[in-house]
Amino acid sequence: MEKRSILHMLDPMPHNSPFDINMAMDAGFDVLMPYSNVKLDSVHALTQDAIFSRSPAGVKRTAFFIGGRDFGLAMDMLNASKKAMVPPFEVSVLADPSGAFTTAAALVACVEQQLKAKHGGELQGCKALVFGGTGPVGIATGVIASLAGAQVKLVDHLSVETAEDVAKEYNRRFSSTLSSAFAGSDQDKALLIQDADIVFCTAKAGVQVLSAAVLNEAKQLKVAGDVNAVPPLGIEGIKRGDSGVALVNAVNSQGAIGVGALAVGDVKYQLQNSMLQLMLATDKPLYLDFRDAFIKAREILQIK
Amino acid sequence: MEKPFILHMLTTAKNLSPFDVNMAMDAGWVSAVPYINVEPSEVQGLVQDAIFSRSAKNLKRTGIFIGGRDTKQAMDMLKMAKRAMVPPFEVSVFADPSGAFTTAAGMVAAVERELAKKFNTTLEGKNILALGGTGPVGQAAAVIAAQAGANVRIIGRQLEKAQHVADICSHEFGDGKITILAGADSDKAEYIKTADVVFATGAAGIELLSAELIASAPQLKVAADVNAVPPAGIAGVDAFHDGSPINGSASGAVGIGALAIGNVKYQAQNRLLKKMIESDKPVYLHFEHAFEVAREYVKAKG
Repeated sequence: MEKRSILHMLDPMPHNSPFDINMAMDAGFDVLMPYSNVKLDSVHALTQDAIFSRSPAGVKRTAFFIGGRDFGLAMDMLNASKKAMVPPFEVSVLADPSGAFTTAAALVACVEQQLKAKHGGELQGCKALVFGGTGPVGIATGVIASLAGAQVKLVDHLSVETAEDVAKEYNRRFSSTLSSAFAGSDQDKALLIQDADIVFCTAKAGVQVLSAAVLNEAKQLKVAGDVNAVPPLGIEGIKRGDSGVALVNAVNSQGAIGVGALAVGDVKYQLQNSMLQLMLATDKPLYLDFRDAFIKAREILQIK
Repeated sequence: MEKPFILHMLTTAKNLSPFDVNMAMDAGWVSAVPYINVEPSEVQGLVQDAIFSRSAKNLKRTGIFIGGRDTKQAMDMLKMAKRAMVPPFEVSVFADPSGAFTTAAGMVAAVERELAKKFNTTLEGKNILALGGTGPVGQAAAVIAAQAGANVRIIGRQLEKAQHVADICSHEFGDGKITILAGADSDKAEYIKTADVVFATGAAGIELLSAELIASAPQLKVAADVNAVPPAGIAGVDAFHDGSPINGSASGAVGIGALAIGNVKYQAQNRLLKKMIESDKPVYLHFEHAFEVAREYVKAKG
């Protein structure tokens, strides 16, 4: 009899994410084991503990998921787990802290799709702002867009130092070219948005980041994407289900369009689902992070 | 393909109750996922995290269970969970801290049955003493009985604490529509003279009502004890009592013991866990719903 598939879900936070639990179950894993408050230095031992109790055939039915809220820590944990493998005792590992990798990959790919379809544009060379840019989804959005060639500014609403530190750290780690900015008021945002081509809104759920008045200041905005599905939504005038709908409040930007949270969420869902399923289907162990997520998101949206 | 049933089980304690985990699996949930040491302030985040990863259709196959040990905290968390929903992204939630809601419901439903069967009467207007009633089971039983029309007095060792608990029961759990009184344990010899029903919900191994006090109760009809560990909470009522007469009661009172209550409790919890699965619309379940299904079960059984 085939062994049941087991997903060991490691999380450095006090709780695993119920979102990821639902996703893992729905992707076809038979058994989910939550591990919370996991420290980076426990990952090696947990990994080796998991790989040696099943034969190489059984190991294929075993995988790790790494959650948490921190991009860098999740990548460190993914690397620690990968290093702990002892081939042929080796299992697949997917990192998706706060769902940030798949959310960010879906957001950037959705925006890229609209940019191509409605403006004939490319991410390459575009000026992009990431509001909520120092949170997990914001950082991942910034890094992915930057690696795709956009000129990305991470915007923090509390301090420019935070944004600077984050940009520097991730540029060093992933060779991205992020810059940083601070926007504490509508005035600050209005100034920033003037020459932006793309806006990513990855701030906290239930917080409106861009009002109609701010959008009014945008002179060359082409696409704005929002991941907040809890009212009030992040960008005034973009509805949750919008996908490539005219951004009515950006009156000074010709043909600006918006992508709402459920449209992004739909792609994110397919993406996370297919990455979890990849781990069940694969013959060779896979180590999946934000880069793989973006490749897959482009595949889903058929972006070439 | 139908998605598997997932129950997210939240507790403020450092462990889930294995009892509740067994119950959830036996009711048909495929996966029971524990979240321990949950702070009430984390409920909104966890709920919103849970609701957005499944379609509205499959959210029917997703639920949240709230455990813990504190009745008020569990009710607060239930309210927070309900407020955190973003329709149509909404799932059912069931609060049963320490199993207290379903245990209390089981006890009150069993008492109601005995009142009907042996005394041809109802809970309406009955004087009830909830001995050791400041704990989770006592609180829930007091509220359920008061909502069914009984005059309930929560008895505790310290009058002040009993009064505080009675106030929470009246105002928070009863929405101010019921009035639950308080009394000190040292005065129970007085209160027992007019008591129709006694609930014993104290800690295991403490006798709350002596044989002497039972003999001195002229209108006592039913005495129920949730304690399964000897010595019994009510003298003469053991775990196996299920409507049999209590020796030494001049008024012909009958006893209900822990196993009889536990049987109804089991059914109530099982039914509510199933209701979450079967319901077409999200449901928010607590002691009132526990009492509804406990009554249904007791009635059907006859």
